Amino acid sequence: MYGTLGKRDLAFEYQAQIPILRPSIHARRANITVKFQDLYGFTVEGNVDDVNVLNEVREKVRQQGRVWWALEASKGANWYLQTTVSSTLKSSLKFSALVNQITLKRLIRKGIPPNLRPKVWFALSGAAKKKSTVPDSYYKDLTNAVEDKVTAATKQIDHDLPRTFPGHPWLDTQEGHAALRRVLVGYSFRDSDVGYCQGLNYVAALLLLVMKTEEDAFWMLAVLLENVLVSDCYTNNLSGCHVEQRVFKDLLLKKCPRIASHLAALEFDVSLVCTEWFLCLFSKSLPSETTMRVWDVLFYEGAKVLFHVALAIFKMNEEELLLAHHVGDVISIIQRTTHHLFDPDDLLTVSASYLIYHVSLGPSFVDIIFYGRGRTLVDHLQFQKMASSSVKKAAFLCSSHLNPVYVLSNFLLSKCLCT
Amino acid sequence: MASSGYNNLNAKLVLLGDMGAGKSSLVLRFVKGQFLEFQESTIGAAFFSQTVSVNNSTVKFEIWDTAGQERYHSLAPMYYRGAAAAIIVYDITSTDSFARAKKWVQELQKQGNPNMVMALAGNKADLEDRRKVTPEEARTYAEENGLFFMETSAKTAANVNDIFYEIAKKLPRAQPAQPPAGMVLVDRQAEGTRASSCCT
Repeated sequence: MYGTLGKRDLAFEYQAQIPILRPSIHARRANITVKFQDLYGFTVEGNVDDVNVLNEVREKVRQQGRVWWALEASKGANWYLQTTVSSTLKSSLKFSALVNQITLKRLIRKGIPPNLRPKVWFALSGAAKKKSTVPDSYYKDLTNAVEDKVTAATKQIDHDLPRTFPGHPWLDTQEGHAALRRVLVGYSFRDSDVGYCQGLNYVAALLLLVMKTEEDAFWMLAVLLENVLVSDCYTNNLSGCHVEQRVFKDLLLKKCPRIASHLAALEFDVSLVCTEWFLCLFSKSLPSETTMRVWDVLFYEGAKVLFHVALAIFKMNEEELLLAHHVGDVISIIQRTTHHLFDPDDLLTVSASYLIYHVSLGPSFVDIIFYGRGRTLVDHLQFQKMASSSVKKAAFLCSSHLNPVYVLSNFLLSKCLCT
Repeated sequence: MASSGYNNLNAKLVLLGDMGAGKSSLVLRFVKGQFLEFQESTIGAAFFSQTVSVNNSTVKFEIWDTAGQERYHSLAPMYYRGAAAAIIVYDITSTDSFARAKKWVQELQKQGNPNMVMALAGNKADLEDRRKVTPEEARTYAEENGLFFMETSAKTAANVNDIFYEIAKKLPRAQPAQPPAGMVLVDRQAEGTRASSCCT
């Protein structure tokens, strides 16, 4: 596996030694582009400012690490698991669990330390639970059984292996290709409706880099597609993705009306940039640590974070976007921003402002979650007719206190069936 | 849609074709003069722009390079809507990709802008020993369907710039001056002056 714990820490410490440049030199060098490797082995091009930002981010990551380890020491190794267990049993909701839950949410928004990520993601996303429902040998048996099979999906996977983050020091090796292949091919047989969809190659590749084992990466991919994300995002006609785009357009209109109307006047369809964001979960657009920070929230709070991050990217560039007069300018503003978002806090602070007020996000957001839990489009339209706005609002109030997606969808379903 | 000032033209161009046919590689070669043996797979679409000079005018291409996998088909109308030109790309070593190219041509004929300039590009022409689609077959198909045809190689750069130049040359003719109503004609003149003074 690429980057064993020891190696990764070593690289981490080593890179942190890069001296922070003084402003005078900094000013002179600001236009010089340098190439360097980031925490996950990706080659990044940036100027001296970017290097400095990355240095600061590394320092923050280390501090966060200390906070997490201190909590492990005082509350026990798996303290964060106690929040999810009791939140499903409302009657036995213990005060300590509630405290843990609040602490955890705040901590996760500030970032999970890279070396704790595999463990925390696996536990909190539901991947561990999913894995525990099948025999231990499931993954091994699956990959062995499908190893020599050739399908349309496997051909496409083979085609994409060398095209997934080419040049990466581990992913772009025989070992990396083989691991990615087993995960993607295995999943294509697990869910033949999804099979293989381009975009999953990038998601699975990053999961491999983060999780310690290939098998855990596989389960993370499974939980992501089956529970965390809007359903049917990757199936045959990408219907889930189309729904996401529509919802996002509504959201942008509500939350950033000036940008939305300006872009509409330019005949710029936001899907032109958002499709890739939602299908690759930002892995192709944001720097790796920033992507990981988005995923930290994704695995704990659910798919809504994708919308909030997308909104934040537009919001952060509001003034500049309003001055853009061509589709090409809009795209270059957005791309320049996403590629240089080396400080995850910049992005997540803005996106969190949408989280706080998410009750006012409006019905369409409820619709998508409802739709996302395996309803058909017909059900979805029925629901729109049936559900009153108060139900939707109540659902949101409910979701802001409990772990969102499951509770919300069950709540909506029950309300829907009652009215 | 192509829109013009006096001497310059903005033209939206879309690349369509099977996955791995070399759409992104063609664009990368045309826009940056580079070639990567393994080009990252495109998700959704990628945007580029490049300006070429033809005769006394310039054409600024706004290029949409789309994802090739079949299921991304449902997103395609967003990219080819209003396009002035399209390059339909297939891989000369794959008959499947040629069949897919034909489907794209049909779809554009039905749904696309009727004045669209369409080019058929048989890419990977450097892989002669693995060829599955003959140039005659492709040329015949192109002629029957009103496309122009070239075999290209993003790797060796053969015909890559040429195909874009050829489109640029065909564009003004494919966009005959639409005689606007009298009132609009006055507006147009004003627009043209503005374009040449501040937008160039």
